Formats: sequence, C-alpha cells, structure tokens
Amino acid sequence: MGPEIIHHPLVRADGSATYSSSLFSVTAAVNGPIEVQRRDELPEEAAIEVNIRPSSGVGGPRERWLESVVSGVLRSVLLVHMNPRTLIQITLQVTKEPSLKLRRSVKDIAALPSLLHASFLAVADGGLPLATTMSASLVAVAETGETVLEPSEKELAKSRSAHAFSFNTHGDLLLDESAGEFDSQMWESVCQLAAKACADTVQRGEDEAMGNGAAEKLPWLRLELEDRAREGSAWRETT
Amino acid sequence: MATMTTLLPGEDVPSSQFPKSKKGTLTLGPGLRHVPPSTILATTAGSLQVDHKKSALWLEFENGRYQPAVGDLVIAQVHHTGSDHFFCSLTPHTPHALLGQLAFEGASKKTRPNLKSGDIVYGRITKASKWEDTELECINPSGKADGMGQLKEGMLFHVSHAFARRLMMGTDKSGHSKGAVVILEEMGEKIRFEVAVGRNGKVWINSSSVKETVMIGRLLTTADEEHWDVEQQKKAVKKALQDA
Repeated sequence: MGPEIIHHPLVRADGSATYSSSLFSVTAAVNGPIEVQRRDELPEEAAIEVNIRPSSGVGGPRERWLESVVSGVLRSVLLVHMNPRTLIQITLQVTKEPSLKLRRSVKDIAALPSLLHASFLAVADGGLPLATTMSASLVAVAETGETVLEPSEKELAKSRSAHAFSFNTHGDLLLDESAGEFDSQMWESVCQLAAKACADTVQRGEDEAMGNGAAEKLPWLRLELEDRAREGSAWRETT
Repeated sequence: MATMTTLLPGEDVPSSQFPKSKKGTLTLGPGLRHVPPSTILATTAGSLQVDHKKSALWLEFENGRYQPAVGDLVIAQVHHTGSDHFFCSLTPHTPHALLGQLAFEGASKKTRPNLKSGDIVYGRITKASKWEDTELECINPSGKADGMGQLKEGMLFHVSHAFARRLMMGTDKSGHSKGAVVILEEMGEKIRFEVAVGRNGKVWINSSSVKETVMIGRLLTTADEEHWDVEQQKKAVKKALQDA
C-alpha cells in the first residue's frame, strides 16, 4: 500500500500537505515567495527556511539537523533563482511517531523520507517553481544482512543499519543519510534498491504496474500529482 | 480541449503538443520554462493548455500565491503613504507594490487623491519584475479611470487566484460563462450590486444592504472552496435568494 496523503489541509497556507506512512505522519505548510529578512536575503536566489516541530515538546539540535538536511534537498528541487531576494518558508509538524523505542539516530533517519515527501507535496501544492519531481525511500538492513524496503517499526528496531535515500525523476541522488553499521558493498546494494523504489513512485505506464498485481509498485506520487492537476482544471470540462 | 495532458514538475512538453505558428514563435505562460535550444519543461504539476491561435502554451494549476504580471487588474490595499507613492499590498507578507499618487484620473500635483492606510484600490499592474518593486496605476493610457480607482464602502472577499481568473474570463458570444462561474450573472438578475474582481484573489462587492453583500461573497468563497459546478451554483443561488 502506498502512503496516505491529504492535499491542501490548511486553507491559509499557500501550499500544504499531510503525508502518513506506516511510521510517521507529517503535516507540511509552505508559504512563498514572501518577503525575506534582510540578514537571510540572498541576492541571486530564494532563501529556504525549514521549521520542524516534533510531535511533542520543542525542537532541539536533532530538529535543527533534520531542517538543514531537508532544506539542502529542497534547494536542489526548487528553482531558487526564479524568485531572488525572497523567502520560501516550510513548516513541518510531525503528528505521529513510531511507538516502539528506537535508537535516536535510526529514528532521525527514518523520519527523513516522510519529512521530504510531505514538504515536496506541499511545495508542489503551493505551485512554486520546481526543477524536478523527487521521491525518497527508507531501507533497513536486518541483523541477518537482509535488506528491507520501507521497514515496519519492528524491523527498524531490530535492524543493524538504516538508510534514507532521495532521488529525482532522472535518477540523480539527492540525499544519502545512513545510521548503524554497514560496509560499502552493503551500501551499494541498498542504494540500488532505493533508486528502484524511488523510480517506481513516478514511473509512467501505470497499466503495466497494475497488471503485475503488485500494489507496492503503484506509482503513487505520479497518480497523486496528476489527480491534483486534473482537479484544478475540472471546470474546463463542464463548459 | 480534446485530451488533457497533465505534467509533473521537470517533465518536458511533448513536441507534438506545440502549436504550429506561422512566425515560428511560441509564447510561454505560467508554469513552463524554456531550456535552450528547444526543450520546454514544466515547473509545477498542472494541466497543459494550448492556444493555437496565439501559439501560446501554459500550465494551469490551482493553488499557490498570486504572482504579479503586467496588465493584471488587481485589488490592492493601501498600507502607508510615501512622498509621491502609495505603498499597497497585493498579497500578504510580500514587498509592497507602488502606486503613483498622480496615476489617478484628474490627479495633479495640487489635487492628489487622499487615500488613507487600509483603503482599497482597483488598479492595473504596469511593472512586474523579480528584481524591482511591482508598480500599479489607476489610469488608462488615454487618461481615463475606466472603473479603476478607490473602492469605497462594500466588502472584500478572498478567493483563490485561479477562481478569480475564472470570474474574470467573461462570457463568450452565446452568453455562456467561459470560466464556468455563473453566480454573479444569476444574482444580477435579482439583485443590484457592484463587483470588482482582482486577479490577486480578491473580490470586492457592494450593494444596498450588508446582508446581500455578505450573501454574494459567501456564495463565491464556498463555490471556490468546494469546487461547485454550474448546476450546483445555480441551485445555491436559488436557495440563497429564497432564504433571504
């Protein structure tokens, strides 16, 4: 099953989305391009500000780190030079976390794909200029050396290492963050698996995937975005 | 619109979709960018629209912030007054747009319009660039106001900029609304009211009573939020008129 997505849950924000996978739920709000504070202003491109709020309490150094990673990926997805001297503000609120006790480093890695998907969907909803479509995935490596794509809470808790990857539609690597013990050979096989998974979410030719009967292979990201695009111009068909 | 092509960010427009123009030129609208020599990429998720007569291409998408473009009619709110400009806001949290104090009908150095902060004006965008401030005017090149200027009394309602665009599309020759919004026409048959639609997602309505003004405004905002089709709009107008 693909993740659950709610488009435009917040009316006041320019763009918003709620993304729920089996591990995390994240609500993202995007405002932009808006006026930027003088000290953050960049003369040639838009500044990106990401605020992450955990499900309870106030954010700490971990959230600051996640913010820097998310804004780094978004910088390569957004066409920042289209709106120079402006600000694109993204607020991410985590609303659900795994209930099992996980190692903090693993938990941070596991949160990244959800945070990225939520912010990408919100940015796309806000109509901001984007260079590409991106997708992210999480892979865990079990003690036995077996790789698990989109692991469940239990699999994650028992894993030896966890890896978050993000790719754009051309298959370029946008993000690679890992935690735990692994060697370069393992990393390569995990990377290939993640690249395939990311490509599957946006591939064309949905009939083929349907025919396989593999529900996981549905290009959910493409379907969601296309649905939204069609909704936006539905009024044209009635005239 | 035979078949609708939907594009994702970063996908290229298939060259079979390009309109054939005599001059060999293409006009690109919102949501598209040109990468030399001949690739046209989508910058957001939307449905591709093609106008063969004007050999124009653009992407249509619903949400997002209004981006000023030259020639757009907008409703702006005066924020503060400078020495020779009014500083107006078009959308929240964006740098102010400049409205010249002499860019009004019949305005001269001695008779300047007296606008206070909070006043609402209907104007046209004359300059929109990413490097400079947006500029407005409330006067035609011929020197006539042509309906532009301060909007007195009435109420302001907020809709999405895509809905405002549909409201401004007008009707075709046979009297059908091109944007598939009939609320104003239907209401106009029963009630007298004034309306001004700003491309930046603002609708100003004034009528003889506050009740009617609010009724029309509420109908427009809910039609936008709930994506009413023409039949639903007609039904809602009828119901609102009965309840009034």
